[in-house]
Amino acid sequence: MPKLYDYVLSGSCYKVRLMTALLGVTYETQAIDFYPGREHKSPAMLALNPLGQLPVFEDYGLVLRDAQAILCHLANRHDPAGTWLPRDQRFGQVMMWLGFAGGELMAVSAARMVSMLGYPGDLEALRAKGRMAMRVIEDHLSDRQLAGGIWAVGDTPTIADIALFPYVMLSHDAGIGHEDYPAINLWQRQVRRLPGFVGMPGIPDYF
Amino acid sequence: MSSDWTPIALSRDVPDGVTRAVCLEGSELVIWRGAGEAHVWEDRCPHRGMRLSLGFVRDGALNCLYHGWQYGASSSCVRIPAHPDLTVPPTIKANAYPTCEAGGLIWVGKEGAGALPALPATTTPVLSLAVATDGIEAQGLMRDLDGGRLHVFWHRVRPGKVMLHGVIEGSADVSRVAALMRQIRTQYEEGVAA
Amino acid sequence: MSLTTDQAALDQWYVLGAVSHFPFGTPVETGLLGEPVTVTRRDDGVTVIGAGRSLPVRTTYNHVWTSFGTPARDIFALPEATEPDRRWLYCGGVRVAASGLRLIENFLDLAHFPYVHTDILGSEEKPEVAKYEVEQRRDVDEIWATKCEFFQPKAAAASDGGQISQYMYRVVSPFNVMLYKTPPTAPNRWDVIALFVQPVDETHSIAHPFMLVIDPTSTDAEIIAFQQMIFLQDKIVLENQRPALLPLQPGRETPTRADLSSVLYRRWLKEKALTFGTEPRTDGVAAGA
Ligand code: FES
Ligand SMILES: [Fe+2]
Repeated sequence: MPKLYDYVLSGSCYKVRLMTALLGVTYETQAIDFYPGREHKSPAMLALNPLGQLPVFEDYGLVLRDAQAILCHLANRHDPAGTWLPRDQRFGQVMMWLGFAGGELMAVSAARMVSMLGYPGDLEALRAKGRMAMRVIEDHLSDRQLAGGIWAVGDTPTIADIALFPYVMLSHDAGIGHEDYPAINLWQRQVRRLPGFVGMPGIPDYF
Repeated sequence: MSSDWTPIALSRDVPDGVTRAVCLEGSELVIWRGAGEAHVWEDRCPHRGMRLSLGFVRDGALNCLYHGWQYGASSSCVRIPAHPDLTVPPTIKANAYPTCEAGGLIWVGKEGAGALPALPATTTPVLSLAVATDGIEAQGLMRDLDGGRLHVFWHRVRPGKVMLHGVIEGSADVSRVAALMRQIRTQYEEGVAA
Repeated sequence: MSLTTDQAALDQWYVLGAVSHFPFGTPVETGLLGEPVTVTRRDDGVTVIGAGRSLPVRTTYNHVWTSFGTPARDIFALPEATEPDRRWLYCGGVRVAASGLRLIENFLDLAHFPYVHTDILGSEEKPEVAKYEVEQRRDVDEIWATKCEFFQPKAAAASDGGQISQYMYRVVSPFNVMLYKTPPTAPNRWDVIALFVQPVDETHSIAHPFMLVIDPTSTDAEIIAFQQMIFLQDKIVLENQRPALLPLQPGRETPTRADLSSVLYRRWLKEKALTFGTEPRTDGVAAGA
């Protein structure tokens, strides 16, 4: 059975929990005391991921790190229909948003760690970067909605939506509300309506 | 233009069953729509102050996320889940503001507000867009387009920030108009009057 | 921000974190009641500097406690701390943009379980809050709520299914509270879950959850994850209550019978004339009147 080394408050681990739930993949979890225990930096965890980060996902004898890579793996091995990671011209666009979710948007995650857990960092600078990333997503989704769409890429949900969703939703923990983002407001409701959807602390079940 | 009414969102952006948080001159408002009708209330539950914009719409009523108190279209509380048998006193009410919809926009009015400003009869919504500026003056700032006209309405979020609401009168390519609105945003944010 | 002049708030003991979370030798900057404070842990003990002087320190229950004033009584008694089979778990400080008094009130609240902790501490099918008892114990100056009962689908990390949980709540000081709850594995004893709130300023707090539980099976990481999950579900509510400061003026909010413990808590704060973290009143009534 696949295994997720998991931390309940991590938006990156949540990407994996959400995708497995949507695909109906059963897996076991091992809770890692990321905070306050810093267990992800323990020798046992560093042996699994020398970068000392979560999530780590074991499946088919592979030990995978990086939430975006794990999303690709899940779509590759557990979605025979291929709709979550389409191989046609949408592929490049999906990859582009995955890169953004693991790149620019992680400023929201960093700001959240500073404001919620007291990690060191320049909160105002991180928030400004986070707002820039949120604006890029808002502009893209509002264009999609003007064209009659809703999802980040194409006419169906893809792993791009799942990679973007957690830190867009957790931005409030970083002090970034959603008042500026009407298109994000409509998109996130559709994500939450997907069959099999699960939430996490900070993303309420009711909406 | 009458200042009794302020446009705060595109009607399109608050479809049935949806809540939307809006900040107007530093005050927090919730817009929600149930049974087709849009409502604008203070974003604060009378029970323990929770923002109602985090709540959920069910059966044409707005439910608070914290303890599930349910408010009907009249803004009266109709159900308190912790006391299922209680008939809720009519004095428990959310704070509702005069609301109307016209020109593809949702407007909030002052108490005893007069008539709405004259608006184009049929419009196509484009975008609501947050802009870091104080510098917008005329409500309904217009741009002529190929085959139509862009009307840009706005509300002030707080000092230093406005939200633009663009609608098209006549016909024009909405995606090109959206790009134009983002250019207007850039001009304002870089301090160049559009 | 500067140190509050609210004497009732100054004359209390406050937690700044679990002792074990402070590194040896490296001073840690934090804040209390509007004033920066520095905590240093050394081999021979912990020192706290604030407002240009050395503050009193206690390390009771393996937490760092301090005060700017003269507390009327010592840190509360916790008999369960002497029971050898209890596990002590320090869940780590979480920063919340809200008045610390709002955190305490949320901790005392049963009615939010179905909506905020859906399918864990409550379910929407059973939202009713049965009558419970509240009292102010004047001998120890504590607030107690007893005979609280609630149906819970997953009451704790070690739960297999639903149960009717029995609760008691105990407010030992304006910013420190705990609950006693029947553990799934030992129905005749009480788990202790405490919330120590460090009010950094009037609208920013650090919550330090602390647990003394009977659970022979779960790992530390599992128990901490469960508690953090619950607390982070509350955080989004706490940061979205308006105003951020706790209103004490009658008519500002609308309590019902389910809120009896909150009503008594607010009355007790008024009796103490505590104003730090409360909304300024506009009805001309001074604090404590
Ligand atoms: S605060 Fe809205 S129901 Fe309690
Ligand atoms: Fe809670």
